[in-house]
Amino acid sequence: MDFELSEEQQQIREEVRRFAENEIKPVATEYDEEEKFPFEVLEAATEMGLNGASIPIEYGGADYSALETAIIVEELFAADPGIALSLTATAFGSDALIEYGTEEQKERFLEPVATGEAIMGAAISEPDTGSDVSSVSTSAEKDGDEWVINGNKMWITNGSVGDYFVAMCETDPDAEGRYNGFSQIVIESDRDGFKSEKITGKLGIRASDTAELIFDDVRVPEDNLVGTRGMGFLQLMQFFDITRTMVAAQGVGIAKGANERALEYAKEREQFGRPIGDFQAIQHKLADMHTQTEAARQLTYKSAWSVENADDQLTTLASMAKEYASRVAVDCANEAVQIHGGSGYVNDFDVERLYRDAKITQIYEGTSEIQKNVIARELMDKGF
Amino acid sequence: MKILVTVKEVAEAEDDFDIDGLDIDERYLEFDLNEWDEYAIEEAVQIKEDGDDVEVVSVTIGPERAEETIRMGLAKGVDRAIRVWDDAFADVGMLDPKTKADVLSAVVEDEQPDLVLTGVQAGDDSFGATGVTLAETIDFEWGAVVNALDLDAGAGVASVHRELEGGIEELTDIELPAVLTIQTGINEPRYASLRGIRQAQSKPLDLHELDDLGLEESDLESPLSRTAMYEPESEGDATVFEGSAEETATELASLLRDVGVVEG
Repeated sequence: MDFELSEEQQQIREEVRRFAENEIKPVATEYDEEEKFPFEVLEAATEMGLNGASIPIEYGGADYSALETAIIVEELFAADPGIALSLTATAFGSDALIEYGTEEQKERFLEPVATGEAIMGAAISEPDTGSDVSSVSTSAEKDGDEWVINGNKMWITNGSVGDYFVAMCETDPDAEGRYNGFSQIVIESDRDGFKSEKITGKLGIRASDTAELIFDDVRVPEDNLVGTRGMGFLQLMQFFDITRTMVAAQGVGIAKGANERALEYAKEREQFGRPIGDFQAIQHKLADMHTQTEAARQLTYKSAWSVENADDQLTTLASMAKEYASRVAVDCANEAVQIHGGSGYVNDFDVERLYRDAKITQIYEGTSEIQKNVIARELMDKGF
Repeated sequence: MKILVTVKEVAEAEDDFDIDGLDIDERYLEFDLNEWDEYAIEEAVQIKEDGDDVEVVSVTIGPERAEETIRMGLAKGVDRAIRVWDDAFADVGMLDPKTKADVLSAVVEDEQPDLVLTGVQAGDDSFGATGVTLAETIDFEWGAVVNALDLDAGAGVASVHRELEGGIEELTDIELPAVLTIQTGINEPRYASLRGIRQAQSKPLDLHELDDLGLEESDLESPLSRTAMYEPESEGDATVFEGSAEETATELASLLRDVGVVEG
């Protein structure tokens, strides 16, 4: 057993933290209030290579593994989840291209993301398709050497700022079996018939762009098919374990951010002639928050470590980490507001924003209920 | 062309700390790269990026812990690093600028750089003298408190702006080889990129002990020693008024009257 991060991992953590302190924290409230995408922060992050953390070296990335990426995600989310998501999600959907893409696709789609010239996204959910991915109804029909795509995608991160999206489409409606007949196809946003409508009024992560995508006879070359026709659903499932681990890391980050701010406030705020941190009621809250966060962190790191080292336990751990860390994020943000009292209820302090931001981690990439289903299914199937 | 950048890992104390003997208790210290040295590294790396065939080497005198800081320099574009350490350093404790310059001069002799960049001063002991002392020791030209640098490598001349008191700048041409002590604000130090951090792990970081540099323990004898460490008593307290300008103006006025700044 080894619970120590390597020197390299510590260096990553420190430098990302320094970046977040200087470039993200000072502007977080502004982007949240205005619900605008942080292009300026993204530009600075590109110089540091934050958008290409897991993209292979040959395509301009740093080729970091899930554990390093989780550390980066944690630090960024501790500063501000809205901007952090905007930065880390510029490579959403790239997993599929890294694993299943052709050489030509990798050069065309991965390199611009790593160098900051392009923003990509993954388009799976639809107005009627959330947790049940196998009910995707966006259709892609072959016409000559092109795919003709029709349908709507909902809640798409980077939807109105992205340059291309890996979209889940139904290509073979007559295929046998519930999970067959779907394919992943790259759709560029500058194609005729592509429309996006930004969704505003989100509870949290308001700097991050979310939109509805409308495909009206959008034509893309047949080369835009990622991997094997009809295997889209199974290809997607491969990455849920990683993406869920990353949402777990987001939860750990939010909890950490809330805890740090709560601790600082408890030391400074005085009532009854002494810092409120001197009172046991506050001390116990802080002790619980930090304990839960550390537990969530270890679960998340173990899941991230398993991506490279222990595939057999990964699915269970990823869902455990995602469900637990997102719950801890919500709980810690809640307690951080409580410790701030009235000051925590307005956006003079960051905890108000973290409280709103935390909730999404229990919803996207599979709700907490879906995670528990997955955990239970793995337990039953494996006969534990 | 070769640039040698001298860097130091400095300790920064937390707001509240305890003193342990002749130093601040290590539990309250955080170690980081000296702020001025960050600018010196950035300046060297920019010269490398703008020029052909420029090698940037960093050198530090420090224990193993300092390697983390040194790696950050490598991640930002330094090509290789040298760490000078020996148990003898730990025994000596405090190094005065002349002793440090003697040690660094041995490294200069090995490396034969064309340009040596140092920070103006170190944030912990703030002697502000190591750079110029080194220049005198190795008989290089020097310029202190440089806040702009334009290097003509072909002609072997560094055109520098030096920051003087009262907002005055001195413009000087300095012939290489030279030592320049770099002021903060000369550039905007970059963040280490993720790729840079990755690549830094395989860049050379060599340890030189006294023997390797042809030095002996007696060379570390310093005429300076720390005799005491204490926290000065605060002579005055700050008063903070909270509230609107209307509310606090009256309180401020009466305070100024009480302490005799205004009469009436």
